[in-house]
Amino acid sequence: MTAPVTATAAPLGQRSRGALVARVLAAPLVVALLALGTTLWLASLELDSIEKRTLNTNYIVDRVREHLVLSLSAAALVALLAIPAGVLIHRSQSRILRAVVLTLANIGQATPAVGVVILLAIVWKTGFSTALIALVAYAFLPVLRNTLTGLAEVDSAIRESALGMGMTGWQVLRRVELPLASPVILAGLRTSLVFAVGVANIATFINAGGLGDMIVNGLKLQRYPVLIVGAALVAGIAILIDWLAGLVEDFARPRGL
Amino acid sequence: MKKIVPLTLALGAVALASACGGGSDSSSSGGGLEGLTGTIGSKDFSEQYILAHITGELLNANGADVEVNTQLVGSANVRQALENGDFIGYWEYTGTSWITYNKETTPITDPQEQFDAVKEADAANGIAWLDPAPLNNTYAFAIRQDKAEELGVTTLSDVAALDPSEQTFCIESEFSTRDDGWPGLKGAYGFGVSDDDLVMLDTGVIYTATQDGKDCNFGEVFATDGRIKAMDLLVLEDDKKFFPVYQGALTMDADVLKEYPEIADVMAEVSSLLTTEQMQELNAKADVDGEDPEDIALDWLTEQGLIDG
Repeated sequence: MTAPVTATAAPLGQRSRGALVARVLAAPLVVALLALGTTLWLASLELDSIEKRTLNTNYIVDRVREHLVLSLSAAALVALLAIPAGVLIHRSQSRILRAVVLTLANIGQATPAVGVVILLAIVWKTGFSTALIALVAYAFLPVLRNTLTGLAEVDSAIRESALGMGMTGWQVLRRVELPLASPVILAGLRTSLVFAVGVANIATFINAGGLGDMIVNGLKLQRYPVLIVGAALVAGIAILIDWLAGLVEDFARPRGL
Repeated sequence: MKKIVPLTLALGAVALASACGGGSDSSSSGGGLEGLTGTIGSKDFSEQYILAHITGELLNANGADVEVNTQLVGSANVRQALENGDFIGYWEYTGTSWITYNKETTPITDPQEQFDAVKEADAANGIAWLDPAPLNNTYAFAIRQDKAEELGVTTLSDVAALDPSEQTFCIESEFSTRDDGWPGLKGAYGFGVSDDDLVMLDTGVIYTATQDGKDCNFGEVFATDGRIKAMDLLVLEDDKKFFPVYQGALTMDADVLKEYPEIADVMAEVSSLLTTEQMQELNAKADVDGEDPEDIALDWLTEQGLIDG
């Protein structure tokens, strides 16, 4: 992969700069257009008292805040749990451990999150923590799988030469393997983050707020402005978060990779 | 214009059929609905499944050949299916159509006036309302029996007089924004709770949350729900008559009803029997005992002597 890139460095550099600018600007542009379109459309409507109770700044800011806090916390918790889990499985080389953890993560993603959240609310309690657990279970797999893939892809020759240089196993992991695997792991985290933003809608069912409040409300009462604004906000947040995570990915990529 | 020919034909057929049938006992086949086909729909909860099956079985016992479809999810889709002509009818509630489909914000307190108003409004949408059943599936607040005794509450006014720390409510997010929901209720009774302290849950979760009382003392429930009795909850009296009436009635494609006006007579026999208590009992069979809604409908119709088992 590296040879052709260095051979045609100059023209590709030009092109990739254009592509980079497009990539950096496209998402915010789409979101800005979405916001503008929705705002203009809303301004043209006459809202009834039911719609006014949700389509006001205070209400929307609160819901967006709840939505962000929930999905960002979930993604942070996933990173905190799934990366060490992946490292542990990789280090142990145990097929049984690997199979068990991957199966659990698969089940977490395959089980409808809305069912998990309602079941947990009934058998345990309602509120933020329950929603957080359901989201973490749902968004666990991409980070776990990418951590395993990222670590597995590190060339064994590199690992051996690091060991040969006198590094301890822990040092090899921290200074060689994890940095080399980081682009793949970050890509997994980005996927999980977007999952979390999308699925955080279910928090509304168990008193954990978020934009699901608006979507469910608009749907049940057939107030489409409420439904559409709620859905557009979730979509906008997902696009922006994905965009930001993409920038972080580029920025955090170790030099030379 | 294209509807005229089949309509006349159908009317002729109906006239013939009723002439042959002699207009005798409706429980025998040949009750005047020969030729009526189509689908009776339902929203996605037990009461609706039961009502749809009751309607389908009864119409078929009177000569019709209708199907029952209880597969649609989301009330709005069911109404849409009726407007599109995919369904010939389904059971709707007066307050729901008034607020949700006719985009009104203030309900009418008097049940009859509310029914007349919604019937008139929906006539413009090509939807006909048959006379309603007495059942009133309105909102209500329920509390577990022992806690009600401890607090000494039987009415919503009693609740408003409680210490604010005991005034805890579990509601659906939908209920929090509708005029006939929390905003109006709070104004009418003067509850001392801040909107931020409301516990917002999905409908199904409210019943269990109310039963165990950790999240709230008072849960927003539906008056005909079978779980009220099964979970030994006490429904608080709406002593200021704040909640509007959500009377159930069969809504139909107006053209179909025009072709088969006998449907109204057939359904009148069953509607008058469907009281709130009766509906609670039927719903409990589905939601608590886990019986099949179709069996519940058949058993009940047979019990009432409306069809031959």
